[in-house]
Amino acid sequence: MAAVTQTVEHVASLEGDKYKHGFVTDIAQDFAPKGLNADTVRFISAKKGEPEWMLQGRLEAFERWQAMEEPTWARVHYPKIDYQDLYYYAAPKARAGPMSLDEVDPQLLETYAKLGIPLREQEVLAGVQGAPRYAVDAVFDSVSVTTTFKKELAGAGVIFCSMSEAVREHPELVKQYLGSVVPASDNYFACLNAAVFSDGSFVYVPPGVRCPMELSTYFRINAENTGQFERTLIIADKGAYVSYLEGCTAPMRDENQLHAAVVELVALDDAQIKYSTVQNWYPGDSEGKGGIYNFVTKRADCRGDRSKVSWTQVETGSAITWKYPSCILKGEDSVGEFYSIAVTNGRQQADTGTKMIHLGKGSRSRIISKGISAGRSSNTYRGLVSAHQKASGARNFTQCDSLLIGKHAAAHTTPYIEARTASAHFEHEATTTRLSEDQLFYAMQRGLGQEEAVSLLVNGFVREVLQELPMEFAVEAQKLVAISLEGSVG
Amino acid sequence: MSLMQAIKARDASLLPSRRDEAWRYSDLRAAIREIPGASPEASRPTGPPPLVDVEADHEILVLNGRAEAKGFLAVAGAPITLRLRIVSDAEHTLHQSALTLDLEPGADLTLIETYEGQGSAYVSGFSLAISLGAGARLERIVLVDEPADAISISRSEIELQPGARLAQTVVCSGARLQRHETEVRHPGGGADVRLDGLYLLDGKRHADLTTVLAHTAPDGTTRQLTKGLAKDQARGVFQGRILVEEGADRTDARMGHHALLLNDGAEIDAKPELEIYADEVSCAHGNTVGSLDDAALFYMRSRGLPEAEARALLMQAFVGEVVDRIEHDGARAAVQAWVARRLEALA
Amino acid sequence: MLSIENLHVSIGDKEIIKGLSLQVPAGEVHAVMGPNGAGKSTLSYTLAGRAGYEVTEGMATLDGEDLLALEPNERAAKGVFLSFQYPLEIPGVPTLTFIRAALNAQRKARGEGEVSAPAFLKLAREAAGKLKIDFDMLKRPLNVGFSGGEKKRMEILQMAMLSPRLLILDETDSGLDIDALRIVSEGVNAMRSPDRSMLVITHYQRLLDYIKPDRVHVLASGRIVASGGPELALELEAKGYDQYAKAAA
Repeated sequence: MAAVTQTVEHVASLEGDKYKHGFVTDIAQDFAPKGLNADTVRFISAKKGEPEWMLQGRLEAFERWQAMEEPTWARVHYPKIDYQDLYYYAAPKARAGPMSLDEVDPQLLETYAKLGIPLREQEVLAGVQGAPRYAVDAVFDSVSVTTTFKKELAGAGVIFCSMSEAVREHPELVKQYLGSVVPASDNYFACLNAAVFSDGSFVYVPPGVRCPMELSTYFRINAENTGQFERTLIIADKGAYVSYLEGCTAPMRDENQLHAAVVELVALDDAQIKYSTVQNWYPGDSEGKGGIYNFVTKRADCRGDRSKVSWTQVETGSAITWKYPSCILKGEDSVGEFYSIAVTNGRQQADTGTKMIHLGKGSRSRIISKGISAGRSSNTYRGLVSAHQKASGARNFTQCDSLLIGKHAAAHTTPYIEARTASAHFEHEATTTRLSEDQLFYAMQRGLGQEEAVSLLVNGFVREVLQELPMEFAVEAQKLVAISLEGSVG
Repeated sequence: MSLMQAIKARDASLLPSRRDEAWRYSDLRAAIREIPGASPEASRPTGPPPLVDVEADHEILVLNGRAEAKGFLAVAGAPITLRLRIVSDAEHTLHQSALTLDLEPGADLTLIETYEGQGSAYVSGFSLAISLGAGARLERIVLVDEPADAISISRSEIELQPGARLAQTVVCSGARLQRHETEVRHPGGGADVRLDGLYLLDGKRHADLTTVLAHTAPDGTTRQLTKGLAKDQARGVFQGRILVEEGADRTDARMGHHALLLNDGAEIDAKPELEIYADEVSCAHGNTVGSLDDAALFYMRSRGLPEAEARALLMQAFVGEVVDRIEHDGARAAVQAWVARRLEALA
Repeated sequence: MLSIENLHVSIGDKEIIKGLSLQVPAGEVHAVMGPNGAGKSTLSYTLAGRAGYEVTEGMATLDGEDLLALEPNERAAKGVFLSFQYPLEIPGVPTLTFIRAALNAQRKARGEGEVSAPAFLKLAREAAGKLKIDFDMLKRPLNVGFSGGEKKRMEILQMAMLSPRLLILDETDSGLDIDALRIVSEGVNAMRSPDRSMLVITHYQRLLDYIKPDRVHVLASGRIVASGGPELALELEAKGYDQYAKAAA
């Protein structure tokens, strides 16, 4: 028992201060007045110089939201959020919206450098030849600070910009697709987002184009008492391909902060979208003080035949995670995938999973979920797989494994399986086990230290999912998983 | 929000609906618009009970909610077989009743529990509280065979002492809305539970097998296997929840649910849940939904079997696994015969 | 060399090893034989430092250094290698990744530099070739889906690559057919050297036809009850353990 006991003690001793992205950038910021009312919504819309139709959409959403109730079905517990005690807009002073790097406040650039995010194109280019390149949209609190590689992407016909810019420059695309996958009425947090969303990324890949580089958005919450409500919309037109990555961090603060984002993906005929997330919001300290409430709605509409959307997520941060990246498989032979690693420690709570809704003939989906619970945390997989009567030949495979580390961690599996067509074939397997004492001893007998042994075993456990991430992200994610569990921060 | 409360208050709006997580697939409020009047007394059924071939030492009859006894105590000693008949003979009326069943430490009881209906469109509620003393053994075989337009809700709460053994098999053919719910408190300490189920549905029948099993202390084992077939516009629901409470270390629990849809338009809804707060556990669940194997069907037909017969054989093979786990020889044979007749209707 | 003096080991409240003493000089191979339940596996797990095996009395040293105070990985770095009777499966971790991590961890603990990737691969190829292991197998997760014989070969492969000073073979012959036994034994014999000691723990004499011991000890009821040359193993094969079990009781 000793090895596991020590590991557990070690994990228990982990403090929030091991969180390496916990610093605050001291920068002058513009805030909306605290609290939420129709004027706040108008303020945000005006700040962004939005057209009337956007403002109307926001106000309608706000009205609807006031009549809605906060959902309680997830296996997460938190004190009631006072929505009037938050700021809904915070932006570094200067003009809103992205700018060229020369105009960006050097302090912001330093922040991103500290976080290891390449914002200078030449820095990226100076890397090893042949290494994949990343175009980055950097979102700081409520606004997009800068977007790199825009020119090169435009050459290929790819639009990659902030949502605010898309509203101004590509209103027809925004009008057509925004809210078409996640309508304001969808759920409480999505509705709130529709009213007050500030910025986010917009991607459009035209027919037949394979996006020449990985696109990524880096979200940073900095300001105190501020909610972050970003909105991302990605459209892959017929036969297009894009791989998109997002990363998230926030400073350590004693108060909980709200993050209620909405991500909409649209894949037309033969299009493919690969969406990867490494979520490392501040999880709060070991006693559960502070941390981000991550209440996010992510959904893909595989409306085209043979379209494919693949979600990969590595969730290590946040005090509470409430997130179900889903696929509506409308197109014939469309494909949805969900690969997830969720690590909880300390007092973290995660209720996460996916929905695969089979509507199209021959649609297929695959779910691989790996949950690891340590400390006094709670980790729930919640997933829905359904097949409509017309979805003949629908297929799903789900593998859902939970690993428990320590005596006080909790792991839950709540799948919903609904089949209405005889030719559907659904298979679901789930296991829950503890970290094996025998395996640990075996690895240590061969010379591995206890932390290394735990890290090796856990990495083995999540390997299937790590393989789905782009290489650089996989390395980062592997480290993150180890850090979240062991505190071996360099 | 329960049937009993709603009946007492004569208020259908108190019935659970699909908005209640535990009833999301069996909307009782939608099925019962108004609380019906009370069922009248009825005369003893003249026909033989289902599973008549099983010899029983004792029999308790519950007729339109009127039970011959309040409960039954099984004493330690020679194995006992008890037949419990829950009979409905009513038209558009409601009846409900409750019974207790206690097993002394070391008692060995086989319970043959059958639900039969003579009338139509009745609402029947029945609840059973069962306790097993240390080292007691209960094999419970439940057959729910009711008219297609009946509404029937039965619920049992079972409490075991360490070293006790519970084996349960519920076989049902559905009704307008039929739900059989089992809640088990599993004390570990070498106690062992098997919870099996089988639903065979056609027409517009709806069957809901719901189980909640809580491991409350270390060293318990649970094996659960439910299978089902749904034809026409029938709807099969399986909700299984295994809860391993904090401290119930070294729990070993497996749950399986496997169902076949025999045509488009039939529906299977499953929610197999694991909720684990303990250490050193080994829990797993598996769930599959599919259709009869076309290749096997073709193979059998190419050897000369008519299609219906081939389908019946495949279905028999599929559900046989559940029936074969019944330990009481007489009961197993009787259930086998009932299932074979039922499969003819589904083939 | 390995030196064990008056060792007492309990699991829970039960004393399994009751005053065991044993010396294995450098360069020698000693066999420990005994009936089921004599404490053979307890001895090997205790030397390797498995949790739950409580040493209540006595000592065990390797070249004069106290083994019992060290963590399992520290013992490994000092050169203790236990070939498990039932090698563990490590899902998701490729065999090569595992061995390399172990080798580098040991080297680091000894203050040596890491092995370069090409040097490591060369080492792995050589070792695999000698043990007739398909190199591609080393890219698969360690022992997952491997047969009993394959798992034992993987143990010997790790042994060869980690190059320990004290080899403990716990029932290495169990579950092996004659061909596998020969290959495994050749692997072990190739490791014999003047600065290595081996402890071969086995129930049957069969393994000792392939790995010739310098000394044979009989373990019964937690103690060494007889010691002798290789002929002792043959005698045990012919007469069984009964006389020793009685003597110990």
